[in-house]
Amino acid sequence: MIPVIGLAVGVVLGLVLDPSVPLWLQPYLPIAVVAALDAVFGGVRARFDRIFDAKVFVVSFVSNVVVAALIVFLGDQLGVGAQLSTAVVVVLGIRIFGNAAAIRRHLFRA
Amino acid sequence: MTTVPPTVDPPPRRPRTQQRSLGASLLDQVLAETLDPSYAQAAARKREAAAQQPEGARPPGSWLARHRGQLLVAATLLIAGLLVAVTYREAAAGAQGREQRREALVEDIQAESATTDQLADQVAELNRQVTRQRDEALAASAVGQRALEQLSAAEQATALTAVRGPGLEVVVGNADPASDTDPVGGSESVALAGLVQDRDLQQVVNALWASGAEAVSINGQRLGATTTIRQAGSAILVDFRPLTSPYRVQAIGDQETLYNRFLVSPGARYVADLSKRYGLKFTVGRDKDLSLPAGSAPELRSARPLEEPQPAPGAPTDPTPGG
Repeated sequence: MIPVIGLAVGVVLGLVLDPSVPLWLQPYLPIAVVAALDAVFGGVRARFDRIFDAKVFVVSFVSNVVVAALIVFLGDQLGVGAQLSTAVVVVLGIRIFGNAAAIRRHLFRA
Repeated sequence: MTTVPPTVDPPPRRPRTQQRSLGASLLDQVLAETLDPSYAQAAARKREAAAQQPEGARPPGSWLARHRGQLLVAATLLIAGLLVAVTYREAAAGAQGREQRREALVEDIQAESATTDQLADQVAELNRQVTRQRDEALAASAVGQRALEQLSAAEQATALTAVRGPGLEVVVGNADPASDTDPVGGSESVALAGLVQDRDLQQVVNALWASGAEAVSINGQRLGATTTIRQAGSAILVDFRPLTSPYRVQAIGDQETLYNRFLVSPGARYVADLSKRYGLKFTVGRDKDLSLPAGSAPELRSARPLEEPQPAPGAPTDPTPGG
C-alpha cells in the first residue's frame, strides 16, 4: 500500500511543482521513463511470483535508469544516439511485454 | 537435521542443444529472461536464512525497521512517478510551444508582408511625386527641356517607364505531368526535366532582345538592363521576385520583324527543342496592344555634386576638435 501511495505522490508532485529540467538532461528523460517502467513491471511481477525483494527492486530501478541514460548519452557522443535509443527501447519493450504477460497470467489465470 | 531449501525455479531457458545463430539466441534470451534473475537469487538467499533461523523468531524492531523495505520501494516509486510526470510535462510543453511559435511566426510573416506592400505603395507614390516635380522644374527652361528629353529617352532605355504597343507574346510553361506518373512517388528526374529553368527563360529573353524588342516583361515584371533571371530551388526569380509557370514573356517592338527574327533565333529553336523532347509548353503569338509596366528603379550606388563646393575661406581644415 505504501509504495502505491509513493507513486501517486510522485506523480502529483511532478505535475504540481513542474520542476524545470536542465536542457542537457531532457533528451534522456523519455528513455529513463521506459527504463523505470521496466523496473516497475519487473517488481510487480516478482511480487506476484512471491519473490519480491526491496533491495533488488531499488538497485534494479536505479541501475536501469542510469544505464539506459548512459547508453543513449554514449550513443549521442558517438553519433548513433537515435539507433541506440531504438535498441534500448526494443529490449526494454520486450521485457515490459513479457512481464506484463506474466502479471496478466497471475491476475486472470489466462 | 538439515532441510534442503526448496529451489526456486530458474527463469526458463531454451536448451542450447541445437545450433542457433547469434541474433536468434540473443533474442531468445531477451524474450525468456524478462524478469531480473537477481529476484530469484534474493528469494533463494532469504529462504536459506529463514531455514537456518529457528521457527517463529521474528526479527525484533520498531515499525520503521520492519517496513524499511516498503519505504525504500515507496521512495523509489515516488522518484518513478516524478520522472513520469516531469517527462509528460516536458513533452506537452514542447508540443504546445511548437504550436505557439508556429502561430507567432505566421502572424509575423503576415504583418511584415502587409508592411512591405504598404511601403512599396509608398515608394511608388513618392516616385510619382518626384517625377512630376522634376518634370515641372525642368520644363521651365530650354536647357531643362533638353535635359528632360534626354532623361525620358534614357528612362525608356532603362525600362523605367511603362510602355504600350504592338509586339509578341511568348508563353513558356512547365510540361503537364504524365498521366501515368505518381504525383507523390513519381520519378523525380522526369518531373524535373519538364520544368522551365532559368536558362530557358534567359534564352527566350535574349532571343527577343536580339530580334529587336524594345521592352520586355515576364509575368508583369519589366526587364531592365540589370534585371536578373535566376533560379532559387524550384522557383524562378525575376528581379528577385518569384514567378510561377506559365511564364508570359511580352516584348514590344516591330511585330513582323520581331516575329520573323525570333522564330529563327537559336534561343527559340532551343526552347522548341525542349518542348519537343520534354513536353514544355511553348507558344508564340502576336499581339496588337501590349502594355508593359515600369520596371523598378536601380539602386543609386554613387553620386557626386555637379560642382565642387568652394571651401569657405578661413574655415578650419580639420573639423575634429583638438584635445
